[in-house]
Amino acid sequence: MNYHFGMLIGLTLGMAAGFAVVALLVKKKVLDMHFDERQELARGKAFQYGFFTLLIAAYVYGLSDVLLGRWCDVLTGVTLCIALAICVFAITCILKDAYLSLREKPRTIMTFFALLSIINLGFGVMYHISPGLTENGVLTFRAVNPIIGFATLIILVVYVVNYLLSPRDEEAE
Amino acid sequence: MKNLRLKAARAALDLSQQQLADAVGVSRQTINAIEKGDYNPTIKLCIAICRTLGKTLDELFWEG
Repeated sequence: MNYHFGMLIGLTLGMAAGFAVVALLVKKKVLDMHFDERQELARGKAFQYGFFTLLIAAYVYGLSDVLLGRWCDVLTGVTLCIALAICVFAITCILKDAYLSLREKPRTIMTFFALLSIINLGFGVMYHISPGLTENGVLTFRAVNPIIGFATLIILVVYVVNYLLSPRDEEAE
Repeated sequence: MKNLRLKAARAALDLSQQQLADAVGVSRQTINAIEKGDYNPTIKLCIAICRTLGKTLDELFWEG
């Protein structure tokens, strides 16, 4: 009972903190949602890919639970599916130059992603060292942090690699 | 199909893709995609580009 209550409090506080940070970034105009028409189109397609990825991932997760038995907490499994869908959406957007809006500063956003990744992966390492990441061979809800950390790291790496590979000189494109 | 007329009109005014993009409120990649023929702009964006470059729709976008 205490275990679930503590988890509920932790999740609620974590989500509240997350919403507060995002609200602050929107207010400070660090996060902005103004995309041009080509970007809107590309993002629509990316949402489509992300949506179908989520459907397939949720089905595969459900199937794995039936066939292999419980291998992770439901919350962890759901987070894994969502993280996968978000990665597909973000990578599609990045490859079509539609991830960041017209007013967002790439360096600021990517620094934010790097911080998010480091903090979450740090929690993952901490949970790994002081056992808690798995219990009786089942991945616990604590694995949510490293999953988010890996997802943000993947997005960050794809963004940086795409930036480095795209030609700087417009005439060369 | 590449839109070389748009590229020429932009170059004639000595505007970079970024400057034209800023003037019409889109990203540089969008202007690049239009010039390369990878993206078909809406009539609204076509008009904004024409106004900025001082050209007509026919001159920049009509394939006669």
